[in-house]
Parts: sequence; structure tokens; C-alpha cells
Amino acid sequence: MKNINSSKKNRIREGSKTANVIIYSIAFLLALICLYPMYYVLILSLSQPRAAATMQVYWVPKGFYLGGYEKIFGDKLLWSSYLNTIMYAAAEMLLMLLTCSTFAYALSVKTLKHRKLVNAFILIPMYFSGGTIPLFMMVMKYGLYNTPFSLILVGGYSIWYIILIKSYFSTIPETLREAAKIDGASHYQIWLDVYLPVAKPILAVIALYTIVNVWNSWFNAALFLADQKIQPLQLYLRRVLVQDAVDLTVELATAEEMRAAQENAISNSQLKYTVIIVSSLPMLVAYPFFQKYFVKGVMLGSLKE
Amino acid sequence: MPGRDLTKRRGRFTKEDWSVYSFLIPGAILIILFSYIPMFGLVMAFQNYRAGDNIFDLANAKWAGLKYFKQYLGSIYFTRTFTNTLRLSVLNLIFGFTMPIVFALLLNEVRNLRFKKSVQTISYLPHFISTVVVAGMVISFTDMNGLINNFLSLFGVQAQEWLVKAKYFPTIYTITNVWKGFGFGSILYFSSLSSIDPQMYEAARIDGANRWQQIRYITLPSLAFIIAVQLVMKTGQILQSNRDLILLLYRSSNATMSDTISTYIYRQGIEGGKYSLATAVGLFSSAISLVLTFITNTISNKISGYGLW
Repeated sequence: MKNINSSKKNRIREGSKTANVIIYSIAFLLALICLYPMYYVLILSLSQPRAAATMQVYWVPKGFYLGGYEKIFGDKLLWSSYLNTIMYAAAEMLLMLLTCSTFAYALSVKTLKHRKLVNAFILIPMYFSGGTIPLFMMVMKYGLYNTPFSLILVGGYSIWYIILIKSYFSTIPETLREAAKIDGASHYQIWLDVYLPVAKPILAVIALYTIVNVWNSWFNAALFLADQKIQPLQLYLRRVLVQDAVDLTVELATAEEMRAAQENAISNSQLKYTVIIVSSLPMLVAYPFFQKYFVKGVMLGSLKE
Repeated sequence: MPGRDLTKRRGRFTKEDWSVYSFLIPGAILIILFSYIPMFGLVMAFQNYRAGDNIFDLANAKWAGLKYFKQYLGSIYFTRTFTNTLRLSVLNLIFGFTMPIVFALLLNEVRNLRFKKSVQTISYLPHFISTVVVAGMVISFTDMNGLINNFLSLFGVQAQEWLVKAKYFPTIYTITNVWKGFGFGSILYFSSLSSIDPQMYEAARIDGANRWQQIRYITLPSLAFIIAVQLVMKTGQILQSNRDLILLLYRSSNATMSDTISTYIYRQGIEGGKYSLATAVGLFSSAISLVLTFITNTISNKISGYGLW
């Protein structure tokens, strides 16, 4: 009797076997659903063109073929777009850190004059904006249209990040600032040598969020940048993957390849899949290592969202 | 010294004050240029703006009054874009909002830590695939000989071009949005779950509570607060559909279901050059959004004492 009782208790503690099986299977299935589309794209990009053309490749590549990658690596426009994206990401990140950390520093100074006014100044744009068209018109008016500065300046500040950094700064004891002042440090020195080093964790979070955001977004670039030479990667991808404006088989082929292509035709969709892998891989390889920062960012954001 | 007294008076700027204010300059310049001045650009909505006009030359502006608001509200596009925006947002609210919670609750029941961590990390993956690539995958997978048709043929479903049929658009959009966001969206709930005191479960088990009862009486109540706040915030944003994804999946063939306020603004304004009309539509929708945010925030303050202001 006592034995039965204790085993029953144990079962409750562990949960029933069937429930566990169901829970683990659903979790596994969800992980598979997240992973499989990208995996499918990967194996198709690596398969023999003939097998890939039938799209009947599901679990492992059929044959092995790197011809698609060879072709894609030869696409100059892809690489220049790639380079543009890296440049935009670096520039926007640095500008974001500068504008947000300086503004937040001023807010953290207790004696800031007209604090209510400054607070209102940053709160109003959080709830109301001019919208797409007026922003577009102003970028034109400022003469920034079709220059890299349009994208960098528009993406170089965030009121939300100002508030995040400010709340982080406010955890720094005021005595630290006063001690530095007594030593004759200016506000600039205090900002640079005391506040920024202490706030490194939040700055890292914001830097990563900004980079991922630049990496992913395309809308502003489509608005402001008409010249393909200065467009970021995502606009190249939009032309190739979404608008079907570029037939990669034609775009990347020489005349003799065109003839050879008749026999061993690599399909446009296989090349598209190759482009997806080439363009997404860096982020997909990197994110598991950075995920703790994103987790931190989400938690900080939830403080007041 | 009287001079010294003056500088110490409140409201007078000392050298110290100016040096603090200098820190506001870089951010303030960008906020003024790209947030505030465009707000004043909204006067375009009340003008007959032609390319090359000076918007701020109010004396010589060709005023249109409410013409463009009336034009939008009276056109067939108003009903279409408004219902489509609402439909897609409500679908996203129902599924996109609940999936992260369900997922977090499910993983919370997984005891094997390594398995749990792996599934968590994999579930963030779609968040790091760009919207353009996701749209490209959707277009390719829903194609005639794409993955979806190949899979569905196993169940004897007739192959078809899913994306060009308007009636499937809300489903495709919702699935894509949920797929891209549920893992990353659950981070918030994971962190709340990890702060629950394990002793509560211990005590419940000793009292004989089964797994369902533990979820029902311990896990869910501890998430209730954050769920309520999130729900209120998401409801306030109901007119802000996922423009970036919709624009990429938009086809003239599925427009009856995919044309939303934001795609309409883009087509009319950027592609069609009807700046005044597009600005009027934008102003109309952000005015409603502002009211919605205000209402939902008041509700949030009432129920939880927690809001945006």
C-alpha cells in the first residue's frame, strides 16, 4: 500500500510518460518547422541541377554540385551590395551609439534645466510621426535622396534606445560623477571615461540590435536609394527573389555557357536558393553566439514597453 | 556679489548647463530633421501638392482643405484597405500573440535542459532570416511545383498557385508571421517563467496537483500580468500591420485581400506620385492609432497600474 502510494507520487512529480512523449514530440516538431525551410533551401542549392529542377529533394542533397555557388560568387553586384550593407550597418551602429549615449547622458544629469521640456521633446515622436511620405519629401528636400547619408542619418537615432541607456545610466551612483568632477573632469570626460565603460553591456545590446535591424530592413533603402551601386544587400535580394526582375541564369552566363547551359541547365530557382544561403549564412552562423545579448535586450525592453 | 547671485538663479543657463546641453545636440538634430520636420510636412495632406512646390510656403500654397480625406474615405479603397488591415492584424493578434505563450508553456514542461536550450535556440532562427528572404521562400514554396504543393500532394490536395489566389493571402501571411516571430517572441515569457519560485511547484505536487493543475494555478497566473500588458499594447498597434512583409507578398492578383493602408500609401505616394492623397491617408491612420494607443493605455493603467505614461 505504501509502495503504491510513493510510486504514484513519483509519477506526478515526473509527469506521466504519455504526456512527456507528447510534449517532447511537439517541441521537436516545432524546432523542425523552424529549421527545415532553411535546410531545404540548403540541400537544393547543393544538389545536381537535374535533380534540383524536379524539386524532388527532401532530406539529403541529390548528388553534389557547387556550380551554383561558383556562379553566384562571380556576381559583382551581390558582393558590392554585401559590402554596402556592412558599411551601412557599421555607420548606423556608430551613429546610433553616439546620438543615444550623449542624449541619455544629458538626461542623467540631475541638474538638467527644463527637464520636462526635454522629456516631452523625445516622447512626442514616440507616439506620433509624419509618416512615410513626409519623411520621403524631407529627405528629398535636404538633398539626401540617393546618397548613403539618407539611410544612415534616418537610421542613426532611436528614442527607444535613448530611454534604455538613460535608465541604465541612472543605476550608476551619482557619487562617481561628483568624484570625477572634484578631480577636475569635464562632462565630456565623465561621459567617455566613466559612463560609457560602465554601460558597455547595454551598448553591446543596442549595437547588435542595430546591426541586425540594418541587415534585415529594406523599406527605407527602397525609398531613398535609386542607384544600385549604393543599395544594400536586401534590395538586391528583393530584385532577385521577389520581383523576379533578374534571371540569374542569363545575368551570370557568358555566351558559351549559355550553349552549355542547354544541356546541364541550372534552374533559376536553384540559383535563387544559392543566393539565399550566401546572403543568410553569416547571420545564421553568428546568432547562436549572440543570443544572450538579444535575450537581455528583450528583457530590458519589457521593463517599459 | 549680485552678479553671482543672478547666475545661480533657477532658469539661468550657467556654463555648466550649456555643457550638459551640448550633449543633446547630436540626437536633437536628427530628431528634429527626421521626426519633427516631417510632422510639419503633414500640411501636405491639406494642399494640392505638385512636385517641386514648397510645402512650407503657406502663403502661396494651393489649399485643398479636406478634399483628399474625402476622396479616400469615399473611394472603394477605404473599405478595402481598412478591412484588410484589420483582418490581417486581428489574425496576427490571435495567432501571433498566443503562439509564443503556448510555446513558452510547452517548453517549460520540458525537463531535459539541453533539449530545451536547443529547441529554444532553433526557434529564434527564423527571426534572423531577413524579411526579403522569407518572402522569397514563401513565393518559391507556394509555387506550382514548390514545396507546399509537393507536400500536400501526399494528401491528395490539388496543386495550385497559392499566393496569387487572394483568398489564401490572410492564411499565408499569418503563417509566415507566426513562423518568423513565435520563437523570438517567447523570450519575454521564458524570462518570466524562470523567475517562478520552484518551491511553489514543489508545494503543489505535495498537495497532489497534476501537471495541468500546476500550469493552471501556478504558471499561468504568474504570466497573467505580462500577458495583459502585452495584449493591451498589441491592440493599440492594430492599424500598424507588417508593411514590409505585405509589400513583398503583394500581387495585383491578391490585392483584394492584401491591399492594406500601408501598401496603399506606398503605391499612391511613392509609385504613383500622389503625395497629398498618400499623406492624407497616412495622417488618417496615425490619428486613429494615436487614439487607440491612448485608450488601450488607459485601460492598461486601470487594470494593472502599468502603462506607457
